[in-house]
Amino acid sequence: MFEFIINYYNYWVYIGLMMIGFYAMMAKKNLIKKIIGMNIFQSAIIFFYISTSVKKGDITVPILEYTHGGSGAHAVDVMQYANPLPHVLMLTAIVVMVGTLGVALAVAIMIYRRYDTLEENEIIMNIRKGR
Amino acid sequence: MKVLSLITAVIVAGALVYGTLDMPKWGDPHSPASTHVSPYYIRHSLEQTATPNVVTSVLGDYRSYDTLGETTVVFTAGMACILLLRRGRKK
Repeated sequence: MFEFIINYYNYWVYIGLMMIGFYAMMAKKNLIKKIIGMNIFQSAIIFFYISTSVKKGDITVPILEYTHGGSGAHAVDVMQYANPLPHVLMLTAIVVMVGTLGVALAVAIMIYRRYDTLEENEIIMNIRKGR
Repeated sequence: MKVLSLITAVIVAGALVYGTLDMPKWGDPHSPASTHVSPYYIRHSLEQTATPNVVTSVLGDYRSYDTLGETTVVFTAGMACILLLRRGRKK
């Protein structure tokens, strides 16, 4: 049982972080808090992917050692390096995350200029009144 | 509303935890992700791209078209921000 928890608690921590962001997106009334929740959600996914690249044992970051000027004639021990592909994919995801965050904040600023509030219920009230 | 959100979050968390039970153990060196595809890149990165940093060689050489497309994403986001936030003439 303890072995089982040790092998899987890593995933559960990120699920907890992700659900904090999910709850913030659903339950909070303030639009900035919703955006912060979205950011926590995306960060949790990125942490999760980065954490899957680790291998137990004596590993380093995926930068090959002892390659100054050489052509890499010696064999590379694969088990010595962390898995590089999750790192690369999450670089792509970080770019998308920054793009969505910027556009969301810009839209929030526009809503504030139009309605003078960021609270969701007050915005809906203003729309109903036809302001 | 808050109670409904909390219930939804707990249900989704339960489904995700159920999904993790099929995942390989954390840090297992013999998991499929670290035995099938990634050894190819670690072994051949130096001779094919002459770059010791494997992340750089995958991002800039093997997936360079994807990285080129990413600049379009950043450009689109920047253009959207500029078009939303500029103080144009008042109607």
